[in-house]
Amino acid sequence: MRVELRNVLKEWGDFRLEIDGLIVEDGEFLTLLGPSGCGKTTTLRIIAGFERPDRGEILFDGRPVNDLPPYERNIGIVFQDYALFPHMTVFKNVAFGLEMKGLPRGEIEKKVRWALEIVGLTGLENRYPEQLSGGQQQRVALARALVVEPKVLLLDEPLSNLDAKIRERLRGEIKRIQRTLGITMIYVTHDQEEAMAISDRIAVMNFGKVEQVGEPLELYYSPRTEFVARFLGLSNILKLEAENGRACLGELCFDVGRDGTVRVFFRPESVYITPGNTAEMIDYELLPGRIRIKLEIDGKSLIAERFLNELPFSVEEMPERVGVVVRDFSIL
Amino acid sequence: MRLRTGFILVPLAFLLVFFYVPLVSIIKTGLWENGFTLKYISAVLQNDYHRHVILFTVEQAIASTLLTLAFGLPGAYIFAKYDFLGKRLTRAILTVPFVMPGIMVALGYILLFGRDGIITGLFGHDLGILYSWKGILLAHAFYNFPIVIRMVSSLWQRVNPHYEEAAMALGARGWRLFWRVTLPMISPAIFASAMLTFVFCFLSFSIPLIIGGYQYATIEVDIFTSIMTLLDFKTGSALAIIQITLSVVFMYLYLRSLDAYARREEQKVLRKPVPFTRRDWLSLKGLAIALYSFLVFVFIVSPLLAVLYDSLRFNGHWSLEWYRRVFSAEYNPMFGATTLDAIRNSLAFGFTTVVLSLLVALPIAYALHRWNFTGKRLFDVMVMLPLASSPITLGLGYVRVFHATPLYYTFWIVAVAHTIIAYPFVLRAVSTSLKKIRPNLFEAALSLGAREWKAFLKVELPLALGGVIVGAIFAFAISIAELGATYMLAKPEYTTMTVAIYKFLGARQFGSASALSVLLMVVSMAGFLAIEGVGEEVW
Repeated sequence: MRVELRNVLKEWGDFRLEIDGLIVEDGEFLTLLGPSGCGKTTTLRIIAGFERPDRGEILFDGRPVNDLPPYERNIGIVFQDYALFPHMTVFKNVAFGLEMKGLPRGEIEKKVRWALEIVGLTGLENRYPEQLSGGQQQRVALARALVVEPKVLLLDEPLSNLDAKIRERLRGEIKRIQRTLGITMIYVTHDQEEAMAISDRIAVMNFGKVEQVGEPLELYYSPRTEFVARFLGLSNILKLEAENGRACLGELCFDVGRDGTVRVFFRPESVYITPGNTAEMIDYELLPGRIRIKLEIDGKSLIAERFLNELPFSVEEMPERVGVVVRDFSIL
Repeated sequence: MRLRTGFILVPLAFLLVFFYVPLVSIIKTGLWENGFTLKYISAVLQNDYHRHVILFTVEQAIASTLLTLAFGLPGAYIFAKYDFLGKRLTRAILTVPFVMPGIMVALGYILLFGRDGIITGLFGHDLGILYSWKGILLAHAFYNFPIVIRMVSSLWQRVNPHYEEAAMALGARGWRLFWRVTLPMISPAIFASAMLTFVFCFLSFSIPLIIGGYQYATIEVDIFTSIMTLLDFKTGSALAIIQITLSVVFMYLYLRSLDAYARREEQKVLRKPVPFTRRDWLSLKGLAIALYSFLVFVFIVSPLLAVLYDSLRFNGHWSLEWYRRVFSAEYNPMFGATTLDAIRNSLAFGFTTVVLSLLVALPIAYALHRWNFTGKRLFDVMVMLPLASSPITLGLGYVRVFHATPLYYTFWIVAVAHTIIAYPFVLRAVSTSLKKIRPNLFEAALSLGAREWKAFLKVELPLALGGVIVGAIFAFAISIAELGATYMLAKPEYTTMTVAIYKFLGARQFGSASALSVLLMVVSMAGFLAIEGVGEEVW
């Protein structure tokens, strides 16, 4: 199902959430990414129907759903703390939505079995939530939301209470389930790595506004704002004066195709190190298999990140000055 | 929307008719005579006896609270810090006073400290505890020290040990560590439990009525005698106005302190009680704990045992004669019914009160929990105010308002009075457990297609069931133990067990009183066991 937010406004004291023209295509995996307090969870809750916007429209397949209560929107939601009913077994939790629909017993059992199989929890039907691990609880929450075959599945930081390892495994599974079922998913997270790994498209949010929507690599290499650039990873942003379509920092020049003040953006891995004399080596940091180097040209700092075996010299014999080549840059 | 209006207006209408109209009628009686007048209030304040009663009521409440704290705080410390053999049993015993009717404690004290009492016999002379302020204080401490232990130890367990460890690393130890670090963290519990004890003692009725006598009456007893013996409604109303004014203030302080307590109580228990080894028992600390547990045991069990013993003694030998008399279908002219009737009535009032209290409290709790509406704060105050009223005041109001209506002298007027006294406790119990449910669960149910009322029935109510059941049992215990309002409002055929016991006491028929009390205790115990059973299963 296609979800659209048109001209939506929600005010809470000082906080102002404004979203216009956010579209989630049918079968798409869209992530709302942003720091805490940016309004991503509120956006999700508006789509779910737990919050009413002050104005604007929420459209499901082009039909406004503003006046529909959550229980008539045909959505599924997975909460950060899972919100499993503690007084019900796994089976009862998953069956809850089907019982609300008044399905016959046999069908309920069949569908619950199907949902538990999808999330890989077959055999745990009679456990209570407190007897499960965090990862298992997460899967139950997922099964419970999926079993009613919602038109859109909303996930509010579903993995943030889990260990790093389980988190990585589960996000892969969520992605797999989304592909298999072809269901529209809207996913909220503050973790840019998670967002990159899982999303078809990402909407980066800040201070109640969507800064940019796009595919992960598009956002990563061609951010439109400094916020998006900085939020998605380490950045180099150089403010330079361009003449004749070229902006230069010492010997390092960029073909920017315009004149005047420009902000040139590039990622650390776009900076290649050669033997030479362009930049001063300030400091470096070793990462697993890689090296992060802090450089300076004419008093401006740059960060480069390379695999160790790409360097033209060994770490022990690091020279004081090196050459620098930048590939793939964009203008902010 | 219609559901919401109903949930708010129906309980409100009930409270208007059965609480606010009687209250206004009392205020009118006390402050109105061809216009507003302070004549009766000032008459009461200028009368030496009434002034003495008012002062004594406050003084004994303060003294009782201090005694209660002195007895309860060491217990709170022990319960929070240590695990020992018999802790569960002690904890169970501590619940006993809470469901014991006041009249039974009073009877136990007469049998222990009276002229022919068991303890009087042991010492060989009257200790001067009965019919004095000492007896009242002791009985009040008996009632309330378990509350202090429960509330304070609950918070004490939640004090993060890192605070104390950090303070110790900074050089604090012993008394200073306690005074500067621990005490500020447990003080909300001390204050809240002290306020609760104070309110309880301030409104105390059965105990001062029976073991205080004329000299040591509380305002509640004074109103009772003004109306029932002297038929002086003007003085009774003036006293009631003074009492309710004071108790509203005290109740407000209590509720505020309870909020502070409840916030702290939400924290996780981080402290594991230290298990006691055999060597610990032989240390000074172990000895102190053993001694304290023993005292608790004696303190709580002795009035019960005294009543039980007396009920089994007939003309100097063991016998079930008193029980035979209780169960005989003989008409008793003293209270105008058979004892069996009294038992049946108590149970009928008890169960009716449970049903009515739930009918009043559940919609209110739900409305307060789920919805925001204009006037919510006022609604909140209006539904909690009956907590500050007393049974005697309520009885007085009912006599004033309903004496000319067909409702008067019926079964229902007593049941309704019990409901007004009991439902605030049900409301609190239910509200507290509703508050503990994460709002996510409700939303999750909505997202799965459940309508609001279905989400409530299927998800929230089952999770709050513990609170509902505890509230129901409170209502039952309160109704079963109620004496003052019942005495004022029930006609002879609706005599309850407590009224019958009171009449037996008046006639100094202690054997019958004891046997009936033991039966009352059995009924209350059943309720108490249910509280414990449910309390441990509650989420």
